[in-house]
Amino acid sequence: MKIEKNGNQLIFFFEGEMDHHQISLLKDICVEAIEKTHPEKVILDFKHVSFVDSTGIGFVLARYKQLNAYRGELTLRNLSHHQHALFAMSGLFQLVREEGEAYE
Amino acid sequence: MNKMSCKFKSRAENEAFARTIALSFLMPLNAAAEEMMEIRTLVSEGVTNAIIHGYEGNREKMVKLEIGYDDHGLITIIITDKGKGISDIDQALEPLYTSKKSSERSGMGMTIMQTFSDSFDIISAENEGCTIVIQKQLHVNLSAAE
Ligand SMILES: Nc1ncnc2c1ncn2[C@@H]1O[C@H](COP(=O)(O)OP(=O)(O)OP(=O)(O)O)[C@@H](O)[C@H]1O
Ligand SMILES: [Mg+2]
Repeated sequence: MKIEKNGNQLIFFFEGEMDHHQISLLKDICVEAIEKTHPEKVILDFKHVSFVDSTGIGFVLARYKQLNAYRGELTLRNLSHHQHALFAMSGLFQLVREEGEAYE
Repeated sequence: MNKMSCKFKSRAENEAFARTIALSFLMPLNAAAEEMMEIRTLVSEGVTNAIIHGYEGNREKMVKLEIGYDDHGLITIIITDKGKGISDIDQALEPLYTSKKSSERSGMGMTIMQTFSDSFDIISAENEGCTIVIQKQLHVNLSAAE
């Protein structure tokens, strides 16, 4: 995972298989990075993510809640069709924005 | 009918192993990429549930994964744990229901498994472990058409 800070914006670039195991390794780093600076906008980039399941949905919803507590905004970027369909099952696009090549 | 069966410890790092095994075993079926992605997700959801709910983080228990397929591209996946079991199966199946809200779970695993499969059964009772039986019919079976 790479983290990029861009003004008042924080971008997380995830990689590989984002399952329960990987997310348990990443979670605290993400929570702290957001808590430290309270960025206005957080982007989660899935371009290099080859797998995601319901643990990813739980992670995204939890980051939404973390940001929403101080009115920050969450965006998912570069989801594959499959990832988009999976996330859509939970209804999370009512809360979280999406941007990227396929869904501009 | 071709079949495989394996057992591994209830450790999160084995989730990737279970998905990879499923992928390798089903390789001869030449399934579409989208269908293989759904199968990886089915295995991942079932195995993750066994590890975090069935065994509640105990890393020394065993999870069993069995996969079979027939000549018509009908795949059967069975995932078994001998953990704490499910007392209310209807509730467990409800979209967004989770007994572990505090650990950032969405409660979508069962719904995803139902969506990506053609048949989905849970055999479980409190303190009697949990077995899930999933069937999925592949739609384009290139190896059969050869
Ligand atoms: N193998 C199992 N043993 C015991 N209880 C289980 C098992 N699998 C599922 N459950 C119960 O069923 C509930 C719903 O499972 P489901 O996979 O839908 O959601 P989750 O695992 O809590 O969250 P998510 O899958 O979205 O990360 C779980 O919260 C748990 O209480
Ligand atoms: Mg689950």
